[in-house]
Amino acid sequence: MSPADTNAADTNAADTNAADTNRADTNAADMKAASMRTVMAVPSVVRGRAGRLLVPLAVVVVLAALPLVLGAYPITLASRVLAFALLVVSVDILTGVTGLPTLGQVAYFGAGAYTAALVGIHWTSNAAVQLLAGVLVATALALATGAIVVRTKGIVFLMVTLAVGELTHQVAASWTAVGGTNGLAGIPPISVLPGGPALTLSGFVYWWVLAVFVVVFLLVARAMRAPFGRTLRGIRDNEPRLRALGQRTYSAKLAAYGLAGAVAGAAGTLWTAQARFVSPTDLGFDVAAFALLSVVIGGAGSLWGPCLGAALVILVRDEVSDYVDGRGPLLLGIVFVAGVYLLPRVRAVLGRLRAREKGFP
Amino acid sequence: MQYAVTVLNGLALGAILFLIAVGLSLVFGIMDVLNLAHGAVYLVGAYVAVALIEGHASVAGFVAAVLVAALVGGLAGAALAGMSIPVRGHLDQALLTLGTALIITELISEFFGNEVRSVAPPPGLDASVGLFGQAYPAYRLALVVVGVVVAVGLHLLLERTRIGATLRATVADRQMVEAMGIRTRRLVISVFAAGAALAAVGGVLAGPVLGAQPGLDDTVLLLALVVVVIGGLGSVRGALLGAVLVGQVQALGVALLPDQASFLLFAAMAAVLLLRPAGLLPARGPAHA
Amino acid sequence: MDVPMPKSSRARRRSSSMVIAALLTGLATACGGSAISGEQPASQAAGGPATIGLVVPKSGVYAPLGADMENGFKLYLDQHGGKLGGKEIDLKVSDEGEGPQTGVPAATKLVTQDKAGAVVGIVNSATALGLRDTFIESKVPLIIANAGADDVTTSGGSPYIWRTSFTNNAVGASLGAEVAKQVGGEPVYLITADYAAGKEMVGGFKKAFEDAGGKVAGEAYTPFGTTKDFQPYLSKIKGTGAKAVFCFYAGAEAVGFVKQYDQFGLSGDLPLFGTGFVTEGAVLDAQGAAAVGTQTSLHYSDLIDSPKNKEFVTAYQAAFKEAPTVYAVQAYDAAAVLDAALAKAATTDGEAISKALAEIGAVDSPRGTWTFDAEHDPEQPYYLRKVEERSGAYVNALVSELAKG
Repeated sequence: MSPADTNAADTNAADTNAADTNRADTNAADMKAASMRTVMAVPSVVRGRAGRLLVPLAVVVVLAALPLVLGAYPITLASRVLAFALLVVSVDILTGVTGLPTLGQVAYFGAGAYTAALVGIHWTSNAAVQLLAGVLVATALALATGAIVVRTKGIVFLMVTLAVGELTHQVAASWTAVGGTNGLAGIPPISVLPGGPALTLSGFVYWWVLAVFVVVFLLVARAMRAPFGRTLRGIRDNEPRLRALGQRTYSAKLAAYGLAGAVAGAAGTLWTAQARFVSPTDLGFDVAAFALLSVVIGGAGSLWGPCLGAALVILVRDEVSDYVDGRGPLLLGIVFVAGVYLLPRVRAVLGRLRAREKGFP
Repeated sequence: MQYAVTVLNGLALGAILFLIAVGLSLVFGIMDVLNLAHGAVYLVGAYVAVALIEGHASVAGFVAAVLVAALVGGLAGAALAGMSIPVRGHLDQALLTLGTALIITELISEFFGNEVRSVAPPPGLDASVGLFGQAYPAYRLALVVVGVVVAVGLHLLLERTRIGATLRATVADRQMVEAMGIRTRRLVISVFAAGAALAAVGGVLAGPVLGAQPGLDDTVLLLALVVVVIGGLGSVRGALLGAVLVGQVQALGVALLPDQASFLLFAAMAAVLLLRPAGLLPARGPAHA
Repeated sequence: MDVPMPKSSRARRRSSSMVIAALLTGLATACGGSAISGEQPASQAAGGPATIGLVVPKSGVYAPLGADMENGFKLYLDQHGGKLGGKEIDLKVSDEGEGPQTGVPAATKLVTQDKAGAVVGIVNSATALGLRDTFIESKVPLIIANAGADDVTTSGGSPYIWRTSFTNNAVGASLGAEVAKQVGGEPVYLITADYAAGKEMVGGFKKAFEDAGGKVAGEAYTPFGTTKDFQPYLSKIKGTGAKAVFCFYAGAEAVGFVKQYDQFGLSGDLPLFGTGFVTEGAVLDAQGAAAVGTQTSLHYSDLIDSPKNKEFVTAYQAAFKEAPTVYAVQAYDAAAVLDAALAKAATTDGEAISKALAEIGAVDSPRGTWTFDAEHDPEQPYYLRKVEERSGAYVNALVSELAKG
C-alpha cells in the first residue's frame, strides 16, 4: 500500500468525524447520565447514586413482571426483542462507541445461535452450557476475523464486515451438517438448573433471556464507562491523535471487536433458546441491516437507545405489519425516513433537558 | 477458446454494472453520501421498461423507455439530493436512503405486483448470433458497446470539459472549490440526478437480461457497492475497473470454480479491500496526494 | 440551573412505583392470560365459530404464491357460504414474509394468541421446519399447503403435521422413468439452485431416473437466489455431451434460466425437463416463447380434463380473472380437507380437528383424487405437461398422467 492511500483513508475518516462530532458529544453525555429517566419522561430531577439507579431498576422490575400478566405470544415477542436488542448492543459497541459501522455482527450472532442449537441437540439442554459454548465460539471467530478486519475503517470496514456476514451466511446455507437452507429444527427446550426440568413455557424462557440480557448489558455498560470505553470513544472521535499520544489503537479495536463478538454470540444463544430453531436467514443481510439501522435510529453510542430502536424495528416488522396487510417494509421505510428528520430534534430537546439538570443552561 | 464466450459474457455484465455503479461512486465522491436508494432507482428504471415495453418490442418503445427512465431517475436523484444535503453523518444518511429505498420498492410492488416481469430486447437485437461456434444473444453484445460508449463519454466529459474539471476538483476538495466562489450545491444536485438517471437507464438496458422483480434492487445495490469499493469510491476509472472485475468474477470465476461460486464475489471483495483499502483506482486530487 | 424540587425523594419513589403498578394492572386487563401458567389453547365451544389461521407470504419474493393460495382458500370458503364442515369460520390471515424470521412468529401468534384450531399455508420450507415443534407441542394441526421439504413429515409422521401439497423428493421422482424412456440411454445433465429444495428434487429425480436405467452426464448447483447469469453453466453442459437437461428453479431464477437456455442455443438441441414449478403461474408469462417445448411434471395443470377441474377453473377465473395455479389448488384442497375434518370433529379445537383429519379418506380435488399417506403427505397423481403456445398465450398442456414409480 502506498503512503498516498493511507492518507486518503485518513482524510476520509477525519471528515466523517468532523460531521459526527456533534453527536459524539451528546453520546458521551448519554453514557454519563444513565438517562433512562429522560425516556420515561419523568420530569425527573432525581439526583445522586440511588436516584440514578431507580429508573433502570424500575424498568427491570417491569420487564421481569411481564410474564405474570402477559400471555404466551406477547412474551415470545418480548424474548425475541431482547435477543435482537442484545445483537444491536453488539453492533453499537463497534458502530456507536468505536465509530466502526458494521454489517458483520450477524456472523457471530449466527455462530452463537448455531452452537447453542448443536449443543442442545447433541449434548445438553442446559442453557448456561449453551450460552458459554456459544459465547466461546463466537468470540474465537470474532478475534480470528477481527485481527484482519479492524485494520480498516469507515466505508471499507462496513463493506469488509458485510463480506464477513455474507460469507458466514453462505457457509451456514451450504453446509448440510447444520441443515443447509432448511436450518436446524428439533432443538429441545432449555433447562436452567443442571438436571432441572425443561422450560417449555414461554414465560420461564423469557426470564432466562431477560436475566442474560440484563447481566450482559450491565457488563457492557461498565466496560464502556471504564478507561477501555474512553479509549474506544477516543478512536471514534480522533484516532490519529490517540496514536500520536502513544495509544495502541489496534489492540483496543481488536478487543472491542472480540467483546462485540462475544455479546453477539450471547444474543445468538438467546435467539435459539426462544425460537428453538435456527436457519441461515437468521444471519442474513436483512438482519444485519436492521441491526445497524436500529443503532442509528436509537442513537448510536448510547446503549439503551439502540435497544429501543431494536424493539421498534421488531414490533413494526412482526406486529404492526399484520394490521397493514403485509406492508411492514413500507412502514419501516417511513419510520426510518421520519426518524432521520425528527430524531435530531428529539436529541436536541433531550440535550437541553440534561444541560438544565446539570445546572448550566 | 472454451472460455472466450464466458469472458465476453462477463464484459456484458460488467457493462451493466458500470452504468449502475458509476453514479453511486460519483455521488459518494462529490458529496460524501452513500446512496443506498441507488438500487431502488435502478428498479424504477426496470419497471419503466416493463410499463412501456414488456412483450411488445419496438425500437421506438425502447428509446422512449430509456428517455423516460432518464427523466424519472434524474428527478428522483435530484429529490434524493435535496433530502440528503441537510443530513449529516454517514449513518443518518444510510438510514435516510435505505428508508427511501424501502418506500420506493414497496410502492413499486403496490402498482406492479410481485410477479417476475421480463422485458423484450428491441427488434434486431432479439436473436442469437454464432460466436466461437456457440450461440450468443446479440443484445448482450450491444450492451458491451453501450458500456464502452458511456465509459468513453464520461471520460471525455470529466477530463476535457470545464464542468468535468470543476467536478474533479469538488471530489478532491469541496471546501477549496467553494472558496473559489463556485456554487457547488447546484453541481452536487446535478451529479446526484445524473447518477440516478444512469442507474434508471441501466434498469431499462438490463431489463432484457435481468427482468424486473421486487428484491432485484437489493441484489443490484450490493453488486454496485462491491464494484465501487473495489474500484475506489469517487472514481470513474475505478468504477469501470471494478465493474469489469466483478463481471469476470461472476462469469469466468464461476466457470472455473463452480463449487465455490457462492463465496467468490465477497471473498474477492474482501481480498481486494484488505490489500488496498482505498480500492484499486481511488479518486485523485490534491487532498489525497 | 437547579430547579427547586417540589417533592421529597420518598414521595417520588412512591409515585414511580404507582406508575409501575398502574402499568402492570393495565397490561393485565388488556391481555389477560399469563405466560407461566401452561394453559392449553382454550377449547372452542361446539357451536361457535372455528378460528382458522391462514399464513401465506404477502410481502417478499414469494408474495405471488401467497396471493394464489389466499385466492384458492377463499374461493372454497365462498363456495361453501363461509362455513367449513357446517361451522362458521373466523379466518385470520397473516403475512408469512420471505422466511422463518417473519413466518415463524406469524404462525406462532395464530396458535398461542388467537387460539386457532388449525393453521393452513406456509410456502417456505425452513419456516415449516421451524414451526413443526411448536404445533406438535401445542397440539394444533398445521396443514402445509406448499412447503415441500422432505424432513417436515418423513421424520416420524406427527398427528399434528399434514401436507396438501407435495414432497420435493416425490415431485422430482415422478419424472424419472419418463425421462429415461424419452432419452433412450443418452446421458442427462442435472442442474438446480444450491439449496435444500433443489437438492431434494434433483435427488428424487436422480434416483428414479437411474433406477429406470438412466445415465447422468453431470450435476451443477448454482448459488441460490443470487445467480442471474447461467451462461458459465450452460457452456459447460454443452461440453459434457449431455443429450437432455433436468432442472429445478422457481421464481426469478426459473425465468432467467429458461430464457438463457433458449438464448444460448441449448433449447434447439437438448430437450429441457423439470419439476412443474419451473413453468408454473406468472413465471411462464415472463418466460414466454423461450419456454415452449419444456416438459415438466406436477400434480396439477389447469388443463386437466375432468368435470371437477373444469368447474374449479371456471369459478376461479370468474372470481380472480386468471387461470388457477398449483398453489391455488393446494390451498383450495387444504380448505376441502378442513371442511371434511370439521364435519367429523366434535369440537373446533386443535386436538379434535387433528383426530378428524386422520379419518377423512379420499379427497376429490381438481387435481384428481388423492389421500394422505402414512406420513400425512399426499398420495396423488402426477402429470406430464409440455409448454405450448395456444392462441397467443403460453400454457402447460397436459400430455399424460405419469405412471407411479
